[in-house]
Amino acid sequence: MPAIVVEGLERSFGEVLAVQGIDLRVEEGEIYGFLGPNGAGKTTTVRMLTTLLLPTGGRAGVAGFDVVAEARQVRASIGVALQEAALDPLMTGRELIRLQATLQGLPTAAGRKRADELLDRVDLSYAADRRVGGYSGGMKRRLDLAAALVHEPRVLFLDEPTTGLDPVSRKTIWEEVQALNDDGTTVFLTTQYLEEADQLADNVGIIDRGLIVAEGTPEELKGEVGNPHIELTVGEGAVPEAERVVAELGKLRPRKGDGKVLLEVENGAGDIPRVVRALDDAGIAVESLELVRPTLDDVFVEKTGHHLEGEGGQEGEPAGEEPAAA
Amino acid sequence: MSDLRTGARVVGALGARSIRQTFRRPQLISPIVVFPTLLLAIQTGGAGAGIELPGFPPVQSFLQFMLAGSMMQSMMLAGNSGGIAFAVDIEMGFTDRLFASPIPRFAIVLGRLAGTAALGLFASLWFLAIGLIFGAHIEGGIPGALLAIALITTSAIAVGGIGAAIALRTGSASVVQGLFPLVLVVLFLSSAFFPQELMVEPAKTIAEYNPFSFIVEGVREPIISGIDATQTLEAVAAIAGIILLGLGLSASALRHRLRTG
Amino acid sequence: MEAASVTRAPAPAGWRTNLATVAALMARAKNELLRVPGAAIPGVLAPTIFFLGLNGVFGSLIHLPGFDSGSYESFIVPVSMLQGAGFTGAAAGVNLARDYEQGWVDRLLVSPAPRWVLLGGNVLAASARAFIPATFVLAIGFLIGVQWPGLDGLIVCYLMVAAMAAVAACWGSMLALHYKSQSAAPLMQAGMMGLILLTPAYAPLELLQPWLEKVAEFNPVTHVVEAARQGFVGSVTWGETWPGLLAVAGLLGVLGALALREMRRTNA
Repeated sequence: MPAIVVEGLERSFGEVLAVQGIDLRVEEGEIYGFLGPNGAGKTTTVRMLTTLLLPTGGRAGVAGFDVVAEARQVRASIGVALQEAALDPLMTGRELIRLQATLQGLPTAAGRKRADELLDRVDLSYAADRRVGGYSGGMKRRLDLAAALVHEPRVLFLDEPTTGLDPVSRKTIWEEVQALNDDGTTVFLTTQYLEEADQLADNVGIIDRGLIVAEGTPEELKGEVGNPHIELTVGEGAVPEAERVVAELGKLRPRKGDGKVLLEVENGAGDIPRVVRALDDAGIAVESLELVRPTLDDVFVEKTGHHLEGEGGQEGEPAGEEPAAA
Repeated sequence: MSDLRTGARVVGALGARSIRQTFRRPQLISPIVVFPTLLLAIQTGGAGAGIELPGFPPVQSFLQFMLAGSMMQSMMLAGNSGGIAFAVDIEMGFTDRLFASPIPRFAIVLGRLAGTAALGLFASLWFLAIGLIFGAHIEGGIPGALLAIALITTSAIAVGGIGAAIALRTGSASVVQGLFPLVLVVLFLSSAFFPQELMVEPAKTIAEYNPFSFIVEGVREPIISGIDATQTLEAVAAIAGIILLGLGLSASALRHRLRTG
Repeated sequence: MEAASVTRAPAPAGWRTNLATVAALMARAKNELLRVPGAAIPGVLAPTIFFLGLNGVFGSLIHLPGFDSGSYESFIVPVSMLQGAGFTGAAAGVNLARDYEQGWVDRLLVSPAPRWVLLGGNVLAASARAFIPATFVLAIGFLIGVQWPGLDGLIVCYLMVAAMAAVAACWGSMLALHYKSQSAAPLMQAGMMGLILLTPAYAPLELLQPWLEKVAEFNPVTHVVEAARQGFVGSVTWGETWPGLLAVAGLLGVLGALALREMRRTNA
């Protein structure tokens, strides 16, 4: 039985259609990764599913309840850790979890016990009686996560839970999310990080400009793209010429703004010698070369024509446009 | 001479910026205009019967009496607002950009004061218009009105100098903002809202020596009776004293900031 | 739409849970006073300055025929106490706007707690906080000669102060949730200032200018001021008290409903 069902969900802000009629389905016990760049409509979608925003079209059901007609029941069934880590800097960590327990309707004694358990679980017991204003970014995210779990929700919404965190803190959050899922919690996770979706999600939905452009398991999606690509670093100013030379040897990809030439090849490592020889014959020095297997970014490029990460062209070319043909 | 011309251009440009800043943000205008206008209405309506008290100067109406006090209040809030804006510039790092430019240092302060003077001018025009709309006469006629405007505008420079000095010294907008109650205290301890002779001790004695009382009387006289040379000179002397104090404090604070960064 | 999972609806929160939520929100509100050094000062300073300033400036009005009160400070101290209540309530609105900007309000809105409970916590916290500036102003007043209002006069005055703070908090909350920004703060403060001072605040009704006398006659807060003042200028009677109670009840009803409406529409 699905934990989240969305049919034709829409949200407009005046003339702007931020979410343009999306459908998705999240099964119970799944981790669903909602992937897309800034401004794609991820947060708007989450806010509709968590009853913070009314849809302007379509329907959505969470934990068996309609997000509009049965909003209170939805709120009682979900846990939410929002992008802005809505924490009060003047409260201590323990006070905040206890307040959250009260808001969720737990009796006082049960709330206190639960607060202690959760603080221990997210490794914040040592800082529980310190003010949140003095917590690091990673500590705040862990506290926010703990607050979202206080009533053992069936569905957990995490809106970009590791944005801005260092790699160690990010890994800690991932481990916690996985552990929660192992205990049976359904997780709806929005992210702009490919690796996060790749590592954690059972299923991934890719959203761009308010529309879902692809959906499936990470492996299924990457399998659709097919071919690996070669990333070549050539001398300064040589990129357009290099692209002209290699254009016949494979399929050129949009530049990522880091001065590299990206060439999709059918035979993987087998195509490398031809490429290097062609550039050498043209007098273009290759500074470095890497064979890259398909990633979710490649899926994104395939579906939308621009990158999810590292947008921007080189040598005056606007981001996302196809490189000049030979 | 060309240094003077450059300095004047810089003062003009920075003054124009500070004026644009204020008028583009309604939340900066509202304390300068809305609160004093509301207070004018309330005090005129509530305490207006006071003109019947023996010893109250002969006036056409309590509104006519109060106009000068409202202009003073608005002007002082403009000075406070200017100080807050200057402190925000310091917090944001905008003044560092100015310090790194080849412009005369004091032009930075004068530019801010030019903006505050413009607000003072606006305040005086606003309340004169309010007074005329609601039936108050300006007994000194056009020369009287011009004198009142000139005194308020120069007072704004004086008070603005103190605001700028505090901003430069502390670099904190919230500190300057916290001085807002002081504006009220200074006004209540002056003859801004009631004749000094009819105030209650100890406010009465404090008002007698408060330099802001001299300024408000200098602004009030042309409105309620006509231009009086002595009142005018006393007001000018008080303004000059506060300008010297403000500019002196600003110069010292500016030197301190340039030395310590 | 397909049923998503086991669909037993969670039971609505009982009165005990709602009360616990209100208490928890009030406890959070006190942190601002106890944990931020000097946070209480502006709320106390403004009404005190007004009280002492108005007394110093307009104190001679007491000599006008028609002024029944023996001392001007006794006449205006309740007004300053109510002004303190107005500032405190408006500040609750500003704090709510700040909480909204910082995302804290989302945490409240995404919980199953009823909206009126969330609003009630904010409003009752303002009522409780209003006792601080009111008591400070009164203490200063006693020092400079305000006459003792009697226990009944004191109780009625404090009741009006608490109620007025709640009214101001409803007003401030309504604006905070409508504009979702602290830039609405001047409107919150000015609105309350106008409401409290467009009354026989400075002088008895008969001595006000005709336009203000008319406005004050229609302003429900006139009854609040008269009810709060009665012990300080005379004796407490039911005839002077019930109009004040009715006025605050009416204002709370109207502004409370508007604030609740805004809270329910935050997701629109």
